[in-house]
Amino acid sequence: MSAFSLYVDRNSGLNRLNPLTMLALIGFCLVAGLALPGAWAPYAVFLLAILPLAAGGRVLRPFLSAALKIVLPFAVSVTLIQGLFWTGGTPIVHLGPLSLKREGLIFAAQSTGRILAVLGSFLLLALTTRTDALMIALAQHGAPKSLTYIVLATLQIAPRFQAKANTILDAQRARGLEVEGGIGRRVRALIPLTIPLVLGSIVDIEERAIALEARAFSRSGPKTSLLVLRDSHMQRIGRWVLVGGMIAAVILGIVLRR
Amino acid sequence: MNIIVSALSFTYPSGVEALHGVNLAIAAGEAVAILGENGAGKTTLVKHFNGLLRPTRGTVAVGGWDTREHSVAQMAARAGYVFQNPDDQLFERTVQAEVMFGPHNLGRTAAEAGAAAADALAQVGLAAQSGANPYDLHLSERKLLALAAVLAMHTPVVVLDEPTTGQDARGVARISGIVEALKAEGRTVIAISHDVDFCAEHFDRVVLMAGGLILADGPAADVFARADDLRRADVEPPQLVRLASALGLLGAPLRTEQFVDLLAQARL
Repeated sequence: MSAFSLYVDRNSGLNRLNPLTMLALIGFCLVAGLALPGAWAPYAVFLLAILPLAAGGRVLRPFLSAALKIVLPFAVSVTLIQGLFWTGGTPIVHLGPLSLKREGLIFAAQSTGRILAVLGSFLLLALTTRTDALMIALAQHGAPKSLTYIVLATLQIAPRFQAKANTILDAQRARGLEVEGGIGRRVRALIPLTIPLVLGSIVDIEERAIALEARAFSRSGPKTSLLVLRDSHMQRIGRWVLVGGMIAAVILGIVLRR
Repeated sequence: MNIIVSALSFTYPSGVEALHGVNLAIAAGEAVAILGENGAGKTTLVKHFNGLLRPTRGTVAVGGWDTREHSVAQMAARAGYVFQNPDDQLFERTVQAEVMFGPHNLGRTAAEAGAAAADALAQVGLAAQSGANPYDLHLSERKLLALAAVLAMHTPVVVLDEPTTGQDARGVARISGIVEALKAEGRTVIAISHDVDFCAEHFDRVVLMAGGLILADGPAADVFARADDLRRADVEPPQLVRLASALGLLGAPLRTEQFVDLLAQARL
């Protein structure tokens, strides 16, 4: 069973980057989008850095599809709420008893831009970088191995959890349990569905822990990684340049805001 | 209650085509074993009998009810399904309450559900544990409890998914007795199993599946004599059939007494 992951396997330069380089690149986009002043800075980062990277990584279609699904409802709701209900402000359009305020719309645009930059950065990372590769790269650079396992196991357990929930649903429906209809019926169906799911998951976790220990998971000493990560001198330099870029963006943001 | 499967095809949302135009007619009161390798389409087929899956193409009718036109809860009154893993359904605090859950869902009164539960628990040998917590039972007992939970619903069709897996000799004997009792009551019994010896002994008809198709369908002795189809379905013949073949005896004995008869005839 595959792990819960958005990763799309493409033969692109981004896919071939060391996960730490990709993490530094994403970190730069994130910091630049949030630290640089001006309402349009996050949009500039999104349009000039994140989108071209998604296109270069050949994940533009899934990237846009996922980003729009999340950002569009947020943008519409924040624009309506902040635009219509901003306290005071300058009305620019009258809609019956309500009016759209200029300050509210600017605030909504700023919030949407930040969400776009943050979400776009993380989406790009998720679409172009294998989670296991990223966690192994972090572990090789000092992150606790147990943390690596917890993150990866959590991602792997999500589809198992979903499959088990579906099986339990089928088993209870086969015994005549109605799971569709009014709210009362749905609430009554919760107990027969959740108890086997929770108990089954506890048993599953215990069995996994025993299986891990039986294979020397907690043994101290060096371990061999079966996943060989590519790296190069150029990438190492690139990572430091990006870290420098992040610091520069923060300083520039502070200076320009004064 | 009969089951009519007509040109049934099914494709999972993932795109996996699990069944390809399957036709099958099971008469009321028949005992049918469905055999085949993993991924042959056995479970996909039987999940259509109570509406858990709906045909992509074709139709399935149980006692004249088109499964596409009824909810799973409605179909549950006609076709009981015993899942392979009992832990996917147990949630009540006592064994008795667990068995009464199905009859309650079907609208039985408390007295009727209690009586049905008591009968079903006696049938599977768990009457003494009726007040116990289901999770205090061993896995083999929990499997019997899941079986009792379906038996108590008194459905005309009973589908058993891998009934003998995880059972010791006593458990298998108990399940064998229950299958025979269901047959004697005139209920339609369908089992999916990799236990060919169990199927050979208790099921008169065998359906052999591979790759979402039915390779062979007929009396158990006939199907178990079709070596090529069994190989294609990755199913080993029952031990008695293999032993008879190794001794050069003609025929496919499914029960010990049939084997002894064949051996006696060969000596004569």
